[in-house]
Amino acid sequence: MMRKADYEGIESAPRWILLFLAAYLAAGMVAVYLWNAAGNIFSIQGGTGSTSALPVTGMAAVDLWLCLVVLRSFPAGSPLRGAWLLMALAAGLRVVSGVMGSLAGSEAPAVAAAGGPVQLALLAAGLFRLLGVLRGFGFWRRPAVADWAVCGVAVLFTLCRLAELAAAWLAGSPIRVESWVAVAGLPILCVLVLEARLLRQSVVSIGNGLIARVWVALECGILLTGACELALWVVPHYSRTLPLAMFQALIRLPAAAAFALAPAYQVAAQRRATKPASVPTGDLATGTPALAE
Amino acid sequence: MHPSRAGLIAFGDAEAGSTGRRRIAGHLSRCEKCRSELRRIQSEKHQLSFDASACATVDPQPGLAWLLSSMASWRDGRSGGLGTEIKSRARTQIELYLGSPAISLVERRPGGPPEELLANTGLVLDALLGPEAADAVRDDVLNGLECAAMEPR
Repeated sequence: MMRKADYEGIESAPRWILLFLAAYLAAGMVAVYLWNAAGNIFSIQGGTGSTSALPVTGMAAVDLWLCLVVLRSFPAGSPLRGAWLLMALAAGLRVVSGVMGSLAGSEAPAVAAAGGPVQLALLAAGLFRLLGVLRGFGFWRRPAVADWAVCGVAVLFTLCRLAELAAAWLAGSPIRVESWVAVAGLPILCVLVLEARLLRQSVVSIGNGLIARVWVALECGILLTGACELALWVVPHYSRTLPLAMFQALIRLPAAAAFALAPAYQVAAQRRATKPASVPTGDLATGTPALAE
Repeated sequence: MHPSRAGLIAFGDAEAGSTGRRRIAGHLSRCEKCRSELRRIQSEKHQLSFDASACATVDPQPGLAWLLSSMASWRDGRSGGLGTEIKSRARTQIELYLGSPAISLVERRPGGPPEELLANTGLVLDALLGPEAADAVRDDVLNGLECAAMEPR
């Protein structure tokens, strides 16, 4: 049974993130089910899509805040300070992109680039530094066949997107800058997928402790981002009636939550170290010692 | 009348009074039996004092060596237990924060000294958790062992 203390303090952030994600996904599924059962007679698309983007941007803001908390615990010169700094910058760009793009309705290419290839590149650089530190400690394994297979799927998807865009461009169709920017992020996503699989191998080599959860969360975030891109490219080809904005939020929120879980687990592990589990005073039958009084 | 044995012992030890000493001395000049008894008493006394001095002057090294070796083995046994405790606690912390397979990676040399495992654990956690948390983990490992660790070896 969960105690009240389990949901108090910043160390309970992973639980709150998972609770919010579960509640949002459940509500979204119910809404889609009702919409489908009602025969699509009412719109759940939303006016501008900003309502659907709000939880994703909010989760990115939580991610940024937790990254800054983690960053503060690593003084200058710490091996992982650079990695967390880059991950915090990536989270910051996701927030800026979310606020400017989805909530404020800006369609500037710079905003799309900040929320796409630039933040992915920062994340990839951060993971590269993290993997370097892990390799230095011997927490390292060569990628397995399954890892190469997952990377192969990402590369294939990137090639399909590039081919599709190139075909449209050669056919003379007008192509928006956002499309080019979105496709520009895909090669970086392939690198990220490879890094995520290497992180997975590191987790396998050390086990599933509190710190390993951080890396699992990062891996899940990257793989879910790739899965989002794939789903958002495939689904419109097969369903024109699906409420795309809502579907996009439903599918992007787990990735955003996974990214937010990484610093949340890091903070939880740090707090676990600095504040060891203690017996709650309320459970004690005896009163306060006289000396303490 | 022959003097008592106690009187002869007191005479031999020069503890008899002046009257008694004169009386016993007069008797001994006349009695061969009492003279031989006095010689026997003095011989026994000499033997006893020799045995006592022999016990006192026996080579003390074996006994001292035994005492020192006992102390050393007790101390070694205690410090060995301390080292095992430190290693066990350090392994628990590695398992908690990293996982069971990480123990062998952090330990590197399974039979190594506890200080080495503690240092490696601190190094890894310092990098992955941050200095403050790593210090807290180190304190957690050494909690309650400070007094024993500070004993002179």
